[in-house]
Amino acid sequence: MDAYLIAIAIIGAIYVLLALGLNLQYGLTGIVNFGHVGFFCVGAYTTAILSTHSLSMLITFPLAALFAMLAAWPLGLASIRLREDYFAIVSLGFSEVVRLVVTSERWLTQGVQGIPGIPKMFGMLSGTTQALAVLGLLVLLNLLAVAAMVRIVRSPFGRMIEAIRDNEEAVKALGKDPAGFKIQVLVLGAGLAGIAGAIYAHYIGYISPDQFVPLMTFQVWMAIIMGGVGRISGALVGALLLMVFLEGSRFLRDLMPFISEVAMASVRLGVVGLALVLFTMYRPQGLMGDFTRK
Amino acid sequence: MSGFLELAISGLMSGLVIGLAALALTLVFGVARFANAATGDFMTCGAYAALAGFTATGSIVLGGLVGLAAGALVGVLSYLLVFRVLEGRPSVSALLASIGVGFVIRAVLGLIYGHGQQVFQLPLVRPWRVYDLRIQPNDLKIGIAALATLAVVFLILHATPMGRRMRAVADDPMLARVSGIAPRKVMLGLWAMGGAVAALAGVLLGIKTVVSPEMGWEMLIPVFAAAVLGGIGHPVGAVVAGVLLGVLQEIATPYVGFTYKLALAFVVLLIVLLVRPKGLFGRVEGVR
Repeated sequence: MDAYLIAIAIIGAIYVLLALGLNLQYGLTGIVNFGHVGFFCVGAYTTAILSTHSLSMLITFPLAALFAMLAAWPLGLASIRLREDYFAIVSLGFSEVVRLVVTSERWLTQGVQGIPGIPKMFGMLSGTTQALAVLGLLVLLNLLAVAAMVRIVRSPFGRMIEAIRDNEEAVKALGKDPAGFKIQVLVLGAGLAGIAGAIYAHYIGYISPDQFVPLMTFQVWMAIIMGGVGRISGALVGALLLMVFLEGSRFLRDLMPFISEVAMASVRLGVVGLALVLFTMYRPQGLMGDFTRK
Repeated sequence: MSGFLELAISGLMSGLVIGLAALALTLVFGVARFANAATGDFMTCGAYAALAGFTATGSIVLGGLVGLAAGALVGVLSYLLVFRVLEGRPSVSALLASIGVGFVIRAVLGLIYGHGQQVFQLPLVRPWRVYDLRIQPNDLKIGIAALATLAVVFLILHATPMGRRMRAVADDPMLARVSGIAPRKVMLGLWAMGGAVAALAGVLLGIKTVVSPEMGWEMLIPVFAAAVLGGIGHPVGAVVAGVLLGVLQEIATPYVGFTYKLALAFVVLLIVLLVRPKGLFGRVEGVR
């Protein structure tokens, strides 16, 4: 049972990392990124490919973040010139193209077979201690990310990106160029997603293209919308709720084994969809948001 | 050379299907002002309903009509239940909700039919030979059905009072309202039409390939690319761009490989958005 709880906590902490990045992009800056899973995927594959060629994780982790950030760069350039909803579809397309590339370029990624045998983190430890070490690393990273977010919000940079979110035209009229800020935010969020992907790859030990479907992006969206967009506490609460839901649905299937795994996958999809619909309709400020405002 | 032409013809047919779906997307966009990401799932709905109708009656035409009706129903329902409530909110809210609506539709279809692929059990027909060209009679029928639908939609838009109202609302909602047009009715008509057209695109796609819960969602990027290339909110443009994109995808297949078809649509989308965001036929959007 302890092992199980630690496993959930690890996946949950990975989602928190993803949610913090998306919250920076959408919640603070208003960039509608529907391709978050693409950066996660780039991070996971970078470290998987390099570390299975016996490169040290001390090198592959920074590279995973770097490549995810590099992948976000051209998308950032596009984000400047596109209306927010056009950019949303473009970023969704981007994440699908990433998935196409890792599916097709078999010489590099082994295609649909995926990459097995990705080395574990903290290989010198074993069992529960090892899992706890992974969790510890994730908690550390999350604390660092939260600290960074808090600092960002209180800095001139933070005031600028919130101004961009609230009224980009006004920012332009004041003689400030939002372009550089939007690119930076997109790249920063992508870097976080890349690191999250790297940890995920080493923790699971096996990655294949079908782990990086758009549903994952929208699970993160569901998390930040349920929690409260633009709030750090929202990212935490949202990711927690997401884990309760994902694990709860697994328990449900254990209790009622006549529900097939395929049916349960549909139920999960439907619940994510329903949450997106109902929260945008009735509680756009999320659970942690201001209760007096609608 | 004949191989090239065959690809072009095949591309023309799938392009018409993309164009139809892009037309559905653009019709709704013109008035509701957001990209309905559930358009693809409306297609899937139509395909499954048509399959059910076809299995029950044995007639592909009747099946198609069932699909059409189901699409219209889903369109109207999603407007009444979701998008009507979100009117006046930022377009991102509606876009996000439309993703959710699409997920719910796909989940329901997945629960009912499972995730396997199904096909329309149509009799195999020997392809016609015109000189060196092999032409599938089914492809031809799909093309004709698509063209007929387009004709009907354009007739409705340009030759009926309802269509005139729709275009008026798309042009300038405020002016339409003060001219005594009830926007609600127009919206209902439009969502019904958008749903029906998307559904028909789904039926044709299902006949041409296979029916699965993900079929429509996977078309979203090409469909969106066609709508943008045609100039979003521009019905003729959507169809022409859809055909162009379909042909481009097919004739590029020997060069870029089968899997990168989607990537091609993405690249087209990106280039159009960055270089000519108003599309081939679009006007610069006025300030509202």
